[in-house]
Amino acid sequence: MRFRRIEPWLYLAPALITILLVFGYPIVRLTILSLQRTSGGVARFAGLTNYQFLFKDDVFLQAIRNNLTLLICVPIMVVVALVLAVFLFERIRGWKFYRTTLFLPYLLPIAVVGLIFSYIFQLSGVLNDFLNHIGMGWLALDWLGSTKYALPTLMFVIIWKEVGFGIVLFLARLMSVEEELFDAAKIDGANWWQLQWYITVPQLSTVIEFFTVVSVITMLSWVFNYVYVMTGGGPGNSTMVTELYVYLQGFRYNQMNTASAVSMLLLLVTGIFIFLELRLRGQSGSAEAFE
Amino acid sequence: MKMTLRIASALILLSLIIAGCATPATQAPAATQAPAAVTEQPAATQPPAQPTTGEQKKLVVWWWGEQEAPGAQKWMDETIAQYQQAHPDIKIEAVLQSTDTLVPAFQSAAAAKQGPDIQYFWGGVWTLENAWNNALIPLDDLIPADERAHYINNFERAYDGKQWGIGWYLSGNPMVFNPALFTKAGLDPKNPPKTWEELKAACTKLNAVGVTPISGGLKDGWFGGWLFSILARQTHDSEKEFMQASVGNTPFTDPKFAAWWGALKELQDAGCWNKDINSLDYQQGQDMFVQGKSAMIFGNDTFLKGWADTMGGWDKMDVMMVPKYGQGKMADQYITTAQGWGITSWSKYPKEAADFLMFMHTTDRLKAWFDYTGVLPADNRLDANAIANPILKQIFTWDTTVAGANLENFIPSMLDEQSNFAGSQLLFSGDKTPAELAQMAEDVAAKWRTQSPDQVQNFQNWLK
Repeated sequence: MRFRRIEPWLYLAPALITILLVFGYPIVRLTILSLQRTSGGVARFAGLTNYQFLFKDDVFLQAIRNNLTLLICVPIMVVVALVLAVFLFERIRGWKFYRTTLFLPYLLPIAVVGLIFSYIFQLSGVLNDFLNHIGMGWLALDWLGSTKYALPTLMFVIIWKEVGFGIVLFLARLMSVEEELFDAAKIDGANWWQLQWYITVPQLSTVIEFFTVVSVITMLSWVFNYVYVMTGGGPGNSTMVTELYVYLQGFRYNQMNTASAVSMLLLLVTGIFIFLELRLRGQSGSAEAFE
Repeated sequence: MKMTLRIASALILLSLIIAGCATPATQAPAATQAPAAVTEQPAATQPPAQPTTGEQKKLVVWWWGEQEAPGAQKWMDETIAQYQQAHPDIKIEAVLQSTDTLVPAFQSAAAAKQGPDIQYFWGGVWTLENAWNNALIPLDDLIPADERAHYINNFERAYDGKQWGIGWYLSGNPMVFNPALFTKAGLDPKNPPKTWEELKAACTKLNAVGVTPISGGLKDGWFGGWLFSILARQTHDSEKEFMQASVGNTPFTDPKFAAWWGALKELQDAGCWNKDINSLDYQQGQDMFVQGKSAMIFGNDTFLKGWADTMGGWDKMDVMMVPKYGQGKMADQYITTAQGWGITSWSKYPKEAADFLMFMHTTDRLKAWFDYTGVLPADNRLDANAIANPILKQIFTWDTTVAGANLENFIPSMLDEQSNFAGSQLLFSGDKTPAELAQMAEDVAAKWRTQSPDQVQNFQNWLK
């Protein structure tokens, strides 16, 4: 009888141990490291010193500001992806070609995208050459070399690359919406805008929620590669983000404890968004079940 | 029966998991002697573990490849082959690291106390930080003093009376120029600019004929550190002054320390630089010179042979000392650092590792190094007669007569990154004035002192 009670746990053990090793141990280790200071290879408990340092460091605060600015990309990505998905769903001429083309950037490695756009956006790069050629030289700016334009340029590239994921998500969901819903609305006299507003958007709401939360997490903790390849955080920290800050603290300045403290904060913030996503999904799941 | 099978299968599964998670049985790394840095870890007293006779010993070398010295790979392959032939019980594996992974990969290895036996290091703080973290062992007992006496620039790796690494080859910073473009602009290539005013005047003449005077790329930051090392020295007598300022004994806002930002701004205002300097990385800035698009570059002498090959011969370039704006003793020095090696504290074969490093410095290997790379080794046993090329001869003369420290190796890396890298970008983007940048340097140094009191202590010990 007693064995019967522990038997399920024995079968669960491999998965539980794997989860604990892969996720649990690093989080515990990270927490401990973030509360320590290392001196001469010896780590000592230091309380919240590393966290206190962070909130006095102007570079870290700049990184936070930049991550928050990057969140502007999220609504833009949602709207662009939604509009393009609707056009593709309506099977405009050549829609299959556009579907592949629009998704292609998402498949490209970020390093490749970053490198190509670095060349395009140089002061003497392809874009400015083109602008000069067509007589719009006044618009030929130092896209990556100016503190004013570097972050917006980076945001453009992120949107260009990440929007394909949203398009595919939205399109997949749209294709599973029952045609009758649209037909019924059309019979009731709904115009194109009303169809989108009253049918498409509500039907896509769960996918939009998912894409929004994933994009928010991306902007907060998944943009390292873009920044590292395209600007290195510069000029003058104007494109510094928290991930790059972690990298610099840990591997350039040899401050692994400070890097751990930032990582903990990142984990906390992304954890909140993951929790929100699960809550939203849970709610919409219950609502659907109720309906 | 069914129950027994269940119990048996569950137990087998559990034991497999436990076996899989267990640490493999390996020999514990030998304890090593720690530097007298700010550490409470007791200095180890045990000698390195000695392997049993007949055992195949493997040495792993992490190195930087041909990043600075094309031809280095061939030399390394040949050196390893020769050493292995002479020592059949030793196998050496060389693992390449890129510029971006060189430091992080070793930091991770040091944290895990697992990784290479021999690691490539830049000089000064780049080596010593690892000694302070107990990732390196001193080489005094492994490499005899009379052997070490031949190594050039050993002072960069000395701390607490011990030697924490050795040099391999020299990397200096001359100003390189294109004689044909000088002539085109009406400048005398036999008499290049010697003062700041002459340099600015040369920029005006070069601009007048449509040639970019000096090229550079700041996007990836590194060149900002070079500019600091090349320019900031001119108002100082010793690298120790920068260490003093780092630990807070002199402010970086002092006119002596702030002067270089002003000098750099003067060059910018005189139109000396390529306008896209902030949107190019270092390599792209360098390519402009190699492609004949710019007349001058703050170069690195390890690149010269490669540039000569690409540009079509050594006569396509010449070298000069960086023109002077300051009157400190360092203004007359030629910046040199020895890129080199260290032996890790977890290496099972430190004696063998040291022996391999000494083999790299045998006269045959020194000559082969110079022949393959055109780069000067950090060893005074290289036969000077082997240097036929007049440009390299000039570099060798500077190296052996007026060499001075590379300042980047004597300041905290945070100061380099957050002040020199970022500051240069901000100067060229027009966001900050020289005075504001000097204040920024002081702020970063103060931040470093708050964050790293132990490092401050290490720097203070280093100053002694």
